[in-house]
Amino acid sequence: MEAPCKTTSSPDKSSAAEPRRGFLAKAVALACGGVTLLAPAAVGVVAFLNPLRQKSLSGGFLKITTLPVLPEDGAPRRFSVIADRVDAWNRYARQPIGSIFLRRTGENDRPVEALQVICPHAGCTIEYQKTAQRGKFVCPCHVANFDLSGKRTDKKSPSPRDMDTLEVEMRNNTEVWVKFENFRTGAAKKIAEA
Amino acid sequence: MKAILDWFDHRTGLSAAWRRWADHRIPGGACWCKVWPGAVAFAFLVQAITGFFLWVHYSPSDQSAWESVYFLQHHVAGGWLLRAVHHYSAQMLLVLVGIYVTQLIVTGAYRAPRELVFWTALLMGMLSLALLLTGDLLAWDQNSYAGTHVRVGFLKLLPWVGDALFKIAIGGPGPAFGHLALPRFLALHVGVFAVGFLVVLLLHGVLARRADAAEAEQAEHTAPFWPDQAVRVAVAALLVLIIVVALALQHGVSGDHVGAALGSPADLDPANRYAGARPEWAFRGLYAFSELFPGEWAILPIFVIPGLIGCIVLAMPFVGRIRAGHYFNVALTAVVLVGIVALSLQSLAKDRNSAEHQAAVDEERRQADRVLHLIRAADGIPAEGALSLLRGDPSTQGPRLFRQYCASCHDHTNGAGTGIKAEESSAPNLHAYASREWLAGLLDGEQINTPQYFGNTALRNGTMASFVEESLSDLDDDEKEDLAKIVMAVSAEARLKPQRKLDAGNAEQIRHGRALLADDYGCTSCHKFHDKGQLGDAPDLTGYGSRQWLIGVIANPAQTRFYGERNDRMPAYAESPDDPAANTLSAQDIGLLVDWLRGEWYEE
Repeated sequence: MEAPCKTTSSPDKSSAAEPRRGFLAKAVALACGGVTLLAPAAVGVVAFLNPLRQKSLSGGFLKITTLPVLPEDGAPRRFSVIADRVDAWNRYARQPIGSIFLRRTGENDRPVEALQVICPHAGCTIEYQKTAQRGKFVCPCHVANFDLSGKRTDKKSPSPRDMDTLEVEMRNNTEVWVKFENFRTGAAKKIAEA
Repeated sequence: MKAILDWFDHRTGLSAAWRRWADHRIPGGACWCKVWPGAVAFAFLVQAITGFFLWVHYSPSDQSAWESVYFLQHHVAGGWLLRAVHHYSAQMLLVLVGIYVTQLIVTGAYRAPRELVFWTALLMGMLSLALLLTGDLLAWDQNSYAGTHVRVGFLKLLPWVGDALFKIAIGGPGPAFGHLALPRFLALHVGVFAVGFLVVLLLHGVLARRADAAEAEQAEHTAPFWPDQAVRVAVAALLVLIIVVALALQHGVSGDHVGAALGSPADLDPANRYAGARPEWAFRGLYAFSELFPGEWAILPIFVIPGLIGCIVLAMPFVGRIRAGHYFNVALTAVVLVGIVALSLQSLAKDRNSAEHQAAVDEERRQADRVLHLIRAADGIPAEGALSLLRGDPSTQGPRLFRQYCASCHDHTNGAGTGIKAEESSAPNLHAYASREWLAGLLDGEQINTPQYFGNTALRNGTMASFVEESLSDLDDDEKEDLAKIVMAVSAEARLKPQRKLDAGNAEQIRHGRALLADDYGCTSCHKFHDKGQLGDAPDLTGYGSRQWLIGVIANPAQTRFYGERNDRMPAYAESPDDPAANTLSAQDIGLLVDWLRGEWYEE
């Protein structure tokens, strides 16, 4: 049975005579078909690129410990940084979000120094090694050595910069508060992750 | 440039393939009536594109499926639009396939040599239904869980294989399902039904073109597919997308209800199963049809009759070889379609006129709003999922617990009589309990023996009621003022959140009220009140109606601090503090109930 509707006349005879009409039809077909598929795709791409709008949550001062906990002799201690961790829709209350070394400096104006445990080279976790003298920091991945204030001690260090220091504030005499941040690895300059 | 293209073409033959595709001759010429299969293809591609980007954001597990959809809907730029386009385009896909199949039947285009063209179109219809059914569950809200729960349960109606099919579908023994069902439904939705649709669509195109080519040789006139027919298909596809976008934008472009609806998170507790759950419109007819049959014959409307109709539809190409057979096919199609529409409309009208159904829908809508408020208040969702926010919310759980445990005796209705009515009102109305209004009524000789207070209890005409009737009636203005201060003083003990400002503003009156209560009015001859009076004859007024006081009463009203031996019929809901398992209500439930009674919950 023939479809019950009007059909166009055969373009067999007329297609050569109507190149303009053919061009218009092609343009409309491409435009309509293109919009139909590209518009939803564009919305999808915007959603897909949403991570680019997200900023990492850091910058606030967090209470880490109290001064009496730190050894008098200036040996470093490692502490977990506890804060709410946000993972997309979830908020996990009071989770370890990073680690730092704290150490007494013996100086009055800044009695405590804080260092990131993340190695500035490739992001491995730096360890504290006790030695006969004062001890040192070593990154196990590529054996970068640092002194207790985080300075590189190798002649040719794998690390592009010294260990990252963090801002410390003493509150109520003995509370140690640290402004916890992560920094870009592999760069000679200390750049906070945004 | 041309050299590169030639090099490429020589190795792929793409330009020849394009010419074959573009120059395909349409027998009878191009026509708007022939846009349907092309529109189906476009709608499917829109589904594939939007589906991929939904997939990127989806996390199929009981504690994260709804949450990930929520995150996409409310926190990802364009996420709500993506969801809405996928949602409405899925419905359009089914509509387009339905129109196309109907057209094939009515125009007789199913007959030899087009049987396979017809069957592949039918298969696309089945697959779009399967895509709707599996996709529906993935949002993991109350409606999708409750609906799917019923639907997979139908599998058990099938003899021999039913139980096995049910377990395979949900990935476990049931009856509840979650972690294993969601990845299954997702994999079926994408890997089997969507991929299957694509395969069948391509197959259908090849078969239809083969049949076209044979017809075109005999046709008086023909037209090339490109651009004559292609432009019509593309315009139709764009119109379909415009309808989809209009549907997606029907609730505006911002706010909590933008795009496609997302209900409250799925609650696997059968007590909280969504009573207003209904299938998507495409299945409404079947839903209404099944209601025409008694329960023990459910297999007939769900499987046997649709299966038989399906078999007849499959056989249409053969039945249609004779003229009468074709008329039979058309008539059957008309009867089925009209039947589905009529049953659907009837079912929708029934729901519209059902107060219970509307109440269930309203309640679910409130809950869906509420969970958004709670997520905002918590600034995120705990690891246990969004449902845990509702489970810890007094305004959600309070009424449920009250209905379940308290409303056998107590009313909770305001002055206008709205609220929770007791099955058999036989204890005081607890609405605004311990508030100034409530206490003023209790201390009013005309009210204390009404059913609002002691009227239906053993305390009717008891010591307290007699005291109120005899000593607190016919007061002069000064005495009335004193009584108001006493009410303020007792009510202040409750530290009610809604009354906090009033209490703070009336500190002076409350101080005076406390003194009156103990001295001039002799309340402390029966009641203990701070350091005055003794326990044993009447409930302690120290901290009366406070959170801790109410928790104590609900735990065990027969304690000396409360009603002691004079306790009427109120059960102890947590008699054993040391053995939580032995108690009727958990400490958490009592806390939620008390917070709700005291009007303490988060409000935006």
